[in-house]
Amino acid sequence: MTSPLIAGYLAGLRRRLPAGIAEEAAGGLIETYEHHLAAGAGEQAAARAAVAEFGDLEAVVSEFTRQAPGRRAARMLLATGPVVGSCWAAALALSRAWTWPVPAVARVSFGAVLLLVVLALAAAATSRHSYQRTRLTAAASPVILILDAAAVAATALAAPALTAALGTAVGASLGRIALTAWTLPRLAAR
Amino acid sequence: MRAEAQVLKGHLDTLLLASLANGPRHGYAVREALRAGSGARFDLPTGTIYPALRRLEAAGLVKGTWSEADGRRRRTYALTPAGHRRLTRDRASWRDFAAAMSAILEPAP
Repeated sequence: MTSPLIAGYLAGLRRRLPAGIAEEAAGGLIETYEHHLAAGAGEQAAARAAVAEFGDLEAVVSEFTRQAPGRRAARMLLATGPVVGSCWAAALALSRAWTWPVPAVARVSFGAVLLLVVLALAAAATSRHSYQRTRLTAAASPVILILDAAAVAATALAAPALTAALGTAVGASLGRIALTAWTLPRLAAR
Repeated sequence: MRAEAQVLKGHLDTLLLASLANGPRHGYAVREALRAGSGARFDLPTGTIYPALRRLEAAGLVKGTWSEADGRRRRTYALTPAGHRRLTRDRASWRDFAAAMSAILEPAP
């Protein structure tokens, strides 16, 4: 019913994009193809004209990737890193956090998970041709939420006194928790 | 031609919002409306319209819903109240810009 060119294009869309997006784009390509068939073009000519009009697969996938919510959210969350991170670095240094009763394994785990999250967000934020990679943000965001909550909880439980610097760092983490929670539903199933 | 494509890209959001001003449309119909409305001058690759509509939806300016007609499932987009407001603002700023450009490029004799 469709030409091999169109069938190959549709398979590419379905392989590289989430189901809902692929279905919408596929519908658009089929409609363009049928428009050319109705105008009297042969199957092959109609297929070539439809693909030319629609844009090549690589360009279309790149455009969806560039505008993916996961890519945008990853950039926004990465941008908060230096701000929230420097608040905590200053506050923990001033409070001599190395003297707090926090087990070494908890400190190392926190650092390792934080590093993984940053790498996942960086991969999502810089993705240009892979929509799948932008979906790493949906997996990384809940972990950021947990890390921020853990930092706040550790401060509440282990800090000998709540200084102004710690208050600022806790405030920064609470702000990011709110931002992440706001972002999460927008990333679901995209 | 390349320069015109760049300019067009800069105004893509406004053009898409304007194409939905008279009622909901699906992606292919948006592209056809832009082509017909511009006398075939704005012939955007259809594949770039879908991602842009998705982005406008994420920004809350349009709302997409799936519907079925003639045995075919399509995603139809409609302006949200925020989309209407943005379009009104974009129209006003375009009129100001176009008037200023015309005043310079085509001064009254």
